[in-house]
Amino acid sequence: MTRHVLSMVLRNVPGALARVVVLFSSRGVDVESLSLDPTERGDVSRMDVVVGLPAGRSPDQLVKQLSRLVDVKSVVAVADSARNQIGA
Amino acid sequence: MDTVTGASSLVRALEDAGCEVIFGIPGGTILPAYDPLLDSVNIRHVLVRHEQGAGHAASGYAQATGRVGVCVATSGPGATNLVTPLADAYMDSVPIVAITGQVNRSMIGTDAFQEADIRSISLPITKHAFQVTEPEDIPAVIAEAFALAAGGRPGPVLVDIPKDVLAATTTYTPAPPVPTPRVTPAANEIRRAAGLIASSRRPVFYVGGGVVRAGAAAELRALAERTGIPVVTTLMARGAFPDSHRQHLGMPGMHGTVPAVAALQQSDLLIALGTRFDDRVTGVLKLFAPNAAVIHADIDPAEISKNRKADVPIIGDCRDVLVSLNAAVRQAPVLTSWWAYLDGLRDRFPLGYDWPDDGTLSPQHVIERIGTLVGPEAIYTAGVGQHQMWAAQFIGYERPGSFINSGGLGTMGFAVPAAMGAQCGVPDRAVWAIDGDGCFQMTNQELVTCALEGIPIKVAVINNGNLGMVRQWQNLFYRGRYSNTGLSTHDRVPDFVALAEALGCVGLRCAEKSEVDDVIMRAMEVRDRPVVIDFVVGEDAQVWPMVAAGTGNDEIMTVRGIKPLFDEDL
Ligand SMILES: Cc1ncc(C[n+]2csc(CCOP(=O)(O)OP(=O)(O)O)c2C)c(N)n1
Ligand SMILES: [Mg+2]
Repeated sequence: MTRHVLSMVLRNVPGALARVVVLFSSRGVDVESLSLDPTERGDVSRMDVVVGLPAGRSPDQLVKQLSRLVDVKSVVAVADSARNQIGA
Repeated sequence: MDTVTGASSLVRALEDAGCEVIFGIPGGTILPAYDPLLDSVNIRHVLVRHEQGAGHAASGYAQATGRVGVCVATSGPGATNLVTPLADAYMDSVPIVAITGQVNRSMIGTDAFQEADIRSISLPITKHAFQVTEPEDIPAVIAEAFALAAGGRPGPVLVDIPKDVLAATTTYTPAPPVPTPRVTPAANEIRRAAGLIASSRRPVFYVGGGVVRAGAAAELRALAERTGIPVVTTLMARGAFPDSHRQHLGMPGMHGTVPAVAALQQSDLLIALGTRFDDRVTGVLKLFAPNAAVIHADIDPAEISKNRKADVPIIGDCRDVLVSLNAAVRQAPVLTSWWAYLDGLRDRFPLGYDWPDDGTLSPQHVIERIGTLVGPEAIYTAGVGQHQMWAAQFIGYERPGSFINSGGLGTMGFAVPAAMGAQCGVPDRAVWAIDGDGCFQMTNQELVTCALEGIPIKVAVINNGNLGMVRQWQNLFYRGRYSNTGLSTHDRVPDFVALAEALGCVGLRCAEKSEVDDVIMRAMEVRDRPVVIDFVVGEDAQVWPMVAAGTGNDEIMTVRGIKPLFDEDL
């Protein structure tokens, strides 16, 4: 497992969080921590997630899959801490 | 701005979106929408017999016309019956909009009668799902749903509408057009691709369903002919390049032709267009096309480098990509020895089949004759199984969209409702469903719909008495222990001719080679009703060639145990 931090901006609409979480579950992504915070804008929220990916799987694919979601306004892998082994 | 009910607003929004046909079944919560539907002059409602039929019909309609297909269901069981077609359309990137009734807003979350949280259920199998909570949002949501379904990589979109939203009084304001951004293929990647193409020695166009969705067949043909590069078309792309074209090597993959599979395996440059390196095409990924550089063009960035790393990634609609490539490629590669190799394979390993020893009818012969007599202007649909693979192999497709089948999900029961939907979209073309005796028993109730609504599809039931594809695997991998694959359809349970008549269709039967042409011609003459032909065929015919699951493509077998690419030094 390698650990990655994703930073997202989500539309504040019902079901947006569910869609993101279901994507993690469908694609076999391990969620270590997840935080959702309001923003000053009010119509969007900020979401930070720490995910674990099987060794050799890059976060790029996940970022692209998250980008496809209508309610995800933006997503970036902030700190690609690929050397940061989970468990080991 | 007119004062209307939410339901009228819905119907007007659908009309404004260009919807001309809806497949559906009414029920409690969607009932308000059915009232204004009665007065719509632009929209025809086709009353199906099962919501699964409505969903696949919407998909068949969409694939035959290139427009968005629409299906409607009530809340609860009506909505959950749409799950399979939504998943099917998601996997095959088919633009459909599903509209479901929902319990009143105040009842949501109370386990009300016929409440199902379809929006959550559909999360992993839709591009997006809306729940409308304010009646005045209806026009904008419908416009956005259509734009989302059709835009970018197409797919299914759900719109869930509570009953009281439909019943409420609101105003109708036509939604402004929804902008659909179109990415321009990056010029530097196009240049790199053109460079690789010019210097390649063993290139191949690996063409997927994205080329069909993009309407890029003409552009593909232009580039293929200018460069002389061979073409293979996947199950979802049959017809994207004419089968009669000499540069076409056929379908690659688990049941692909030897030349098509070898072209990918031996290639030094895959030009992958609107395709996703599915495991049914690649076989064991590590062993797939080991020496090839990869140009991968797709409208969905998430597909690029998902399974196989692309050397040249191109994000864009396949038509835009092909137009750009056509302009950028100045020099055709030298392919003399490549074609000599491929032509040699074509001569030595043509697609073919053996007649059964027991004197029974050959299913491949039946399907081949349908293709020849009905011709390339028709639309063919298929279920899932052996008959599907034979329909992909033995019918010659010349036009994109002329073969409609369930590629990604592999949904048994797809053929009949998809044919119904396709026929509604293109009433002037003949539509033939090539179905299995197993698949047919999953969705044949839609023939009642076809009979009553004047949708004269033809259904060829390839009756091999078995869940044939599963039986083939049992024969090959489970020592011929046929566990639960016999269907008793050779004992006429059910009797498909009698069943067809009971469903309001013409029922015909054929078990002799000498009668095959005749029965097809007789079916073609019937124009006022659907026709079902029970083709009683042998149970032992198998689909060849085959790359067994879990093996590399080099181990393709032309018949059991014979591996031409593996055993010989070609
Ligand atoms: C809904 C569904 N259930 C089960 C399967 C697994 N399956 C794949 S092919 C097949 C047999 C299909 O039988 P039939 O329609 O008679 O086609 P044949 O292979 O005999 O041509 C089965 C059961 C499936 N693809 N879809
Ligand atoms: Mg069968």
